[in-house]
Amino acid sequence: MLKKLKIFIPIIVVVSLFFVSTVSIGAPLTNKIAVDTVTAQANNVTIESQVLPPIYMVIPFMLLLLMIATGPLFYKHIWERHYPKISILLGVIVAVYYLVYLKDYHSLMHTLAEYISFIALLASLFVASGGIHIKVDRKSTPFANVIFLLFGAIISNIIGTTGASMLLIRPFIRMNKNRIKPYHIIFFIFIVSNVGGALTPIGDPPLFLGYISGVPFFWVIDNVWYIWLPALFMILLAFYIFDKMNKDGKDDNSEYSGRIEFKGIRNLIFLVVIILAVFVDPMVFPWVPSLGPLPFGIREIIMFAVVYLSYRYADPVALKDNEFDFEPIKEVAYLFIGIFITMVPALELIAHEAKALGNELTAGVFYWATGSLSSVLDNTPTYINFLSAAMGKYGLDVAVNEQVRHFVSVDIIYLRAISVSAVFFGAITYIGNGPNFMVKSISERAGIEMPSFFTYMIKYSLIILIPIYTVIWLLFFFGKS
Amino acid sequence: MATIKETLLNGLQGLYYGNRVLLPFRADILKIIINDDILMDFSPFSKHIYLNETEKFTEIYFHDFKRLNEVVTKFETIKLVAVDKEDDLFNTDNHYKLALHLEEKHKLTIEKTDEDILFIE
Repeated sequence: MLKKLKIFIPIIVVVSLFFVSTVSIGAPLTNKIAVDTVTAQANNVTIESQVLPPIYMVIPFMLLLLMIATGPLFYKHIWERHYPKISILLGVIVAVYYLVYLKDYHSLMHTLAEYISFIALLASLFVASGGIHIKVDRKSTPFANVIFLLFGAIISNIIGTTGASMLLIRPFIRMNKNRIKPYHIIFFIFIVSNVGGALTPIGDPPLFLGYISGVPFFWVIDNVWYIWLPALFMILLAFYIFDKMNKDGKDDNSEYSGRIEFKGIRNLIFLVVIILAVFVDPMVFPWVPSLGPLPFGIREIIMFAVVYLSYRYADPVALKDNEFDFEPIKEVAYLFIGIFITMVPALELIAHEAKALGNELTAGVFYWATGSLSSVLDNTPTYINFLSAAMGKYGLDVAVNEQVRHFVSVDIIYLRAISVSAVFFGAITYIGNGPNFMVKSISERAGIEMPSFFTYMIKYSLIILIPIYTVIWLLFFFGKS
Repeated sequence: MATIKETLLNGLQGLYYGNRVLLPFRADILKIIINDDILMDFSPFSKHIYLNETEKFTEIYFHDFKRLNEVVTKFETIKLVAVDKEDDLFNTDNHYKLALHLEEKHKLTIEKTDEDILFIE
């Protein structure tokens, strides 16, 4: 144990330094920094004073990330018993600072609204798809797996990366039961839970936030498909090579019918309801009533109703076969409430620095900065902050729909870089995107020994994905200002 | 003392109390999955689990949990790979993949996992 700890200490230190340096570029260590920001409204310009948090308020966030990374490794059962309290406590520290010291209610309410929206979507997709049991009775081959993952990548644009992950991870494991290895699950996370969903606003939450901020629905597929395709091809090729080398199951003489069976098909109706609910937003349809100042809307109410109804009326046989349990979504809900609140200071400092750096930011910088932060922060606020910074270069405001549409028509290279990297880099760590954790948990419950947080990065994501993402950068963003 | 085969055939039940499981057969246990924990170290030094065989039953203590019914919920099971004592351990055809369901009044139903339940040995 001590030996293992020694190996990881430098990594922990490097990761910590990375965060400190990322957020502290040019940020003086003062208690309060008053910044005048120009907020361009539709027809008038207003000046408002924004108070930035001090750098040390990033500590709760760093602490939470380190504990998420090290808890399951070194103190698993203590962590399992106490992570809800730890996550909430660290969140409360930041919340109290904002409420009492900065008297900034707006940032917290905004974060709370984003969190409720995030967890409503994830929980509804998790429960609705948990009541659907799919069984694919066919022999697993590397080629069949590639086709399966490609199908998963495409469908994740229709039912979201969470919905596709929950629906397909069990049939994927079952199909490969005689030759399953951790890399199967890891590539599933890469492709179905992340990269696949880069084509539509339904695919991944940051793209959805872009959509409700004014980015046209089909802008993403129009501008990203030719980046998505080579990235997906390279990852599938890497998977094919891995899978081709796996000789397990060669002597499998079982007979397969080739049939695909469904149980709990009625829950598909709930999945359709969730997809339609995504559009129930006053920003999309003005006739939808806003529930402001409440931090949620009609959409979230529909989604939480789906959580209840899709569980209440689910086929018990499908739930039993899926060994349905609320624990994975509970874990995401508790950890991400802490992550969402504690990352507020980090995101505000990053947004400030991005705006201050202004013209020095190139498409490549947006690509790598959005990507590296999306790996460990939630990619939705990261996306919106970098979009805000990119629009700031043109004196435009992300909060004004018309200006977002104008920005899209003026210069799309930044938005393309931000959109691609926010989605792609979610696969770098288990906490990069909501479904990653759920897929890991379901796989472990099936008896597959998944790599730890660091092993996942060192042995798989950094080695496989970073070279591919570098090629994407060279092909599409290198040297573009 | 029943075998696994007889237990399944006759629908014999086990029991659970707190973190202790009592199985009505004697067997070599190779792997246990509880929650997202995969247990394969059954040596006396294991901090997570303790196995004890008596003439009449096999008992398992899960040290990481106080009450099993708090971690194994309605649709979940404790899964284990086991081999009857008199059978050849090295012949994988003799390996039983079992699912233990926690029922009311400390009863534990034991069934062979069907094809629909994910269980990778």
